[in-house]
Amino acid sequence: MADSPRASPSDIAPVVLLADDDAAVTGQLVPLLERSGFTVRVVADGEAALLAAERESPDLIVLDVLMPKMDGREVLRRLRRAGLAYPVLLLTQVGESTERAMALEEGADDYLNKPFDPYELVARLRAVLRRSRRGLPALGAAGQVRAGQLRLDRVARRAWLADRELLLTPKAALLLDYLVTHPDELLSRERLLEVVWGWDAISGTRAVDNRIAELRRVLADDAAQPRWIETVPGQGYRFLAEVVTIG
Amino acid sequence: MRRWWLVLVLVGAGVLGTALAAWQAGDVVLVFRVEPAVAVAAVTGAALLVTATVRTVRILLDRARAGATAVAAREHRVFLRRLDHELKNPLTAILIALANLASTEPAAVAVSSQVSRLSRIVVDLRKLAEISDGPMERVPVDLAEILRAAAATCVDRQVSVTVPEVPWPLPTVPGDQDLLDLAVHNLVDNAVKYSRPGSRIALRVFEQDHHVVVEIADTGRGINAEEIDSVWAELARGRDTAGIPGSGLGLALVRVVTHRHGGTCDLRSRPGEGTVVRVRLPV
Repeated sequence: MADSPRASPSDIAPVVLLADDDAAVTGQLVPLLERSGFTVRVVADGEAALLAAERESPDLIVLDVLMPKMDGREVLRRLRRAGLAYPVLLLTQVGESTERAMALEEGADDYLNKPFDPYELVARLRAVLRRSRRGLPALGAAGQVRAGQLRLDRVARRAWLADRELLLTPKAALLLDYLVTHPDELLSRERLLEVVWGWDAISGTRAVDNRIAELRRVLADDAAQPRWIETVPGQGYRFLAEVVTIG
Repeated sequence: MRRWWLVLVLVGAGVLGTALAAWQAGDVVLVFRVEPAVAVAAVTGAALLVTATVRTVRILLDRARAGATAVAAREHRVFLRRLDHELKNPLTAILIALANLASTEPAAVAVSSQVSRLSRIVVDLRKLAEISDGPMERVPVDLAEILRAAAATCVDRQVSVTVPEVPWPLPTVPGDQDLLDLAVHNLVDNAVKYSRPGSRIALRVFEQDHHVVVEIADTGRGINAEEIDSVWAELARGRDTAGIPGSGLGLALVRVVTHRHGGTCDLRSRPGEGTVVRVRLPV
């Protein structure tokens, strides 16, 4: 469970464009987001979402994946093709890992699976907003990113440390992609499980720890004095290096 | 497939049937003067023909069965996805409505707890659908290491782990580390859930006939004989499990993970004495 919603003084009613065709969901989500300090615009299909995004310049967009007229992923693709780099959070309807990987590759900054913890949504929106408020580009839309000597080609799913290409298992590659595109954010093990596996393992969170260990091995990172991935005891992990987009 | 065998059999049967009918009607008089070598060759040919026919029929039947099973499995997965899709939005709306209520009233707390339970089932059903046909890694997996890690999670139980070292160590199995981890942890989790504090849990792993066999045994409550066959099904919960948390999807997950690794799983149980679950995975 994330923090309960509380308007941050630095947030001057950021505008969220919420696109979901289920009135039961939007009817409940609007008051929750408004109490959390957001101004909310609601649309009920993909075409309306695209029009509203172009007209209203929202601070961020929440897109449901399955919508009439145009699905959320197509809206996202068109936004990115049009050069609109608004931060986008996808509410996925499909639990498959391929769907999640594609959502990130196509430029979603974050996503949540339904049913989600409403406070987790608020926390994710704030994290995305913090980056854009600091004038940092939304990394979700970047094809290539760099953090010091680490370079990621997110489209080709390849990574290099200096001149050496990193050999990673598919899940470790997905985990590294998520960490690098969410730098300086405390990411709980549960969140990382959902991101990489699409579900939380009954076996607890060792699956995440195993992949983090794999990443540390290939990055030659020392857990005691980390350069790349910091362990936040009892809470999760944080990617430490500053990340810039290079394409 | 070699359909010509089928054609040959049909043509042969037709010719033979016609000849027999003609002979019976007295239209044909058959005089047999067969060389022994020719007789042997004819008998051998006939035997070969029968064998090939039987084999062809068996292959056709096996394919039909496999096809029917695959269709049923595909339909089942489609159903799981549809169910997941239909339940997601109402559950999301209820979760947000409860957050909006922010009520500590007992009724609201009770609803909240039941919604969490439903959400858990939806997520587990999705997990099951994904594990059934999602991508799977194939790396050498050390099951002994997984067992030791799972043993460390058992609280208030007497746990033993038996791993062969002599004359050679346990081989690894090719598979998905996370999925095998998930399966073993589910089984160990069940052993803890369905036993009392102080009970004994034995985790054993050994090599047998090109397989690695994992056994998880407990001195817990056991399973009633009439429920043993149904415990592997989705949402199966025993009669006596009320009050014990669980979605009834744990063993279904274990079964799916095992089958995806080309393995098998089974269990033996005696009410009041305990249960042994066995998973066999090819090396």
